[in-house]
Amino acid sequence: MIRLTLKRPPAVPLEAEVLSPSLLAGLSHTEICGLHLYHGKRRMRVDEFFDVEGERSSTVDITGDLRRVRWLGRGMTDGTLTIHGSAGMHLGARMKGGRIEVFGNADDWVGAEMTNGLVRIHGHAGGQIGGAYRGSLRGMKNGTIIVEGTAGLEVGLRMRRGTIVIGGRVRDFCGLQMKGGTIILLDGAEIRTGAWMNRGTILSLRSLKLLPTFRFACYDNPTFIGVHARFLKPLGIRLPHAPTEGSWARYCGDFCVPGKGEIFIWHPAAAPEPAVSEL
Amino acid sequence: MGGKVTCTLGEVKNRADFIVYWGGNPAECHPRHFTKYTLMQKSRWLPRGRKDRTMVLVDIRETKSAKAADIFLQVRPGCDFELLSILRAMVRDEPVDPDAVAETGIAYDVLEDLVRRMKSCRFGCMFFGMGLSMTRGKHMNSAALLTLAAELNAFTKFVAMPMRGHGNVTGADVIMRWQTGYPFGITFNRGYPRYNPGEFSTVDVLVRGDCDAAFIIGADPGATMPQPAIDHLARIPTIVLDPHVTHTSRLARVHITTAPAGIAAPGTAYRMDEIPLPLKPALKSPYPTDEEIVRRIREAVATRPFWMPEDSPQMTTEQL
Repeated sequence: MIRLTLKRPPAVPLEAEVLSPSLLAGLSHTEICGLHLYHGKRRMRVDEFFDVEGERSSTVDITGDLRRVRWLGRGMTDGTLTIHGSAGMHLGARMKGGRIEVFGNADDWVGAEMTNGLVRIHGHAGGQIGGAYRGSLRGMKNGTIIVEGTAGLEVGLRMRRGTIVIGGRVRDFCGLQMKGGTIILLDGAEIRTGAWMNRGTILSLRSLKLLPTFRFACYDNPTFIGVHARFLKPLGIRLPHAPTEGSWARYCGDFCVPGKGEIFIWHPAAAPEPAVSEL
Repeated sequence: MGGKVTCTLGEVKNRADFIVYWGGNPAECHPRHFTKYTLMQKSRWLPRGRKDRTMVLVDIRETKSAKAADIFLQVRPGCDFELLSILRAMVRDEPVDPDAVAETGIAYDVLEDLVRRMKSCRFGCMFFGMGLSMTRGKHMNSAALLTLAAELNAFTKFVAMPMRGHGNVTGADVIMRWQTGYPFGITFNRGYPRYNPGEFSTVDVLVRGDCDAAFIIGADPGATMPQPAIDHLARIPTIVLDPHVTHTSRLARVHITTAPAGIAAPGTAYRMDEIPLPLKPALKSPYPTDEEIVRRIREAVATRPFWMPEDSPQMTTEQL
């Protein structure tokens, strides 16, 4: 195992794209210490900011207040990155595989444009989770992102495939311009959920204020939600799906674009189904 | 994303028979806009001037501009994105629930009439102000309006243009665009430009406290930015170049008085339609120009070696 401990908090953002398990796996202690980080515009060695223990391992533990440390685990292909503390922006951006776990909060662009792997944030996260960078057409293409706390704006911006689960409340524009994939909201979202979505699925366990360009379709208990529930069960997330528990209200949209997206809102069986005219 | 479909104000003056102002108050903020470009001017294609033009004002309250408007639409605050989404759906002939439309503060039949006018005009132009771009939704509100303008080109000629504020803000965007490829929110820390608004835009950098010095030319963030940003400006060494003592100068370490551009300093200003206009100074000033100060600082910095070692990797998106 490689253990990195932050010695002093950086004064300006520290770009640490080299701290990725797949890159560190083949390096000796001296080589790891000699890797370059960018503190603002200054090039620094890893050992100027981190105490390094261990070598040649794809299991990496980083400890400290890493709020200004950006691009951790960028493009990683395998291994495990565990962060004890809060991580900065672009955590796990463009990752291709492996696992990231954060015991703390994360900032914007978690898992942006990732193609595979698992990211789990035990605290809150920022915006643009699994999103597409500005000017890019596609966000995450596969993989899973789980945030146990709240999340910011534009979650799943232009995502193409994959799964995002948010435990807390999500801010505006969740699933903006989605092209596929699934976003699961366990505690609902603020306004403009699913704006401009072309395809893809948003599941919400709480009621949502939808845009006027979404239309109610039907009450349903589709099979694929059961498949999602089975996939999420080992990750400790319970998604209700049995008809005895309730049903999902399906909305189609967004009709201001050629919208084939769908939003499902859960209605537990205990609460009576609202009449269609009330929706 | 739709991008921006735009034109010059000369075209608006000569051809635009349908004008929409969204979230702006040109009567008070751009007082010559009506008379010089959008309403009063007569042209070969609009020989009767004001009578040949229709003006729609969309705002959250009845401002002085409403008097000049043919149609005034009072949208409920924070519903601009919803209203633009509805318009986009109606332009595509998608049915929209009239009750959901009423929630935006505007009746369904009013919007139906607006869409009919938008589709049947000969040359439409939408101007949008800070009432749209700086309220909840921010850049997505502007994106929705620009996309609506782009989509209306399936029926007629339609353009959109932001109502830019004071100073040469358009010029700053235009110059950054042709120098780096990006209009704002750029970092050069790795020796080449990278763009990410929200990460590198000034207000976000200041609010998070991500910079350890600030160099401010021709702007007054001390008067306009949120309090955490102002507090950070006061904490770090801030240098201000301005003809006047501003709020920012008061919290800066260094204030350099400069000659006012257009009055005592020559240069180029960009109009809101991105037309460069040369400025001829009428007076002489004892103070140096902004350009001279920046050039002298640059010459002093250039004597030192380039900060980035030769073999530094680039963080381009193609790298992975």
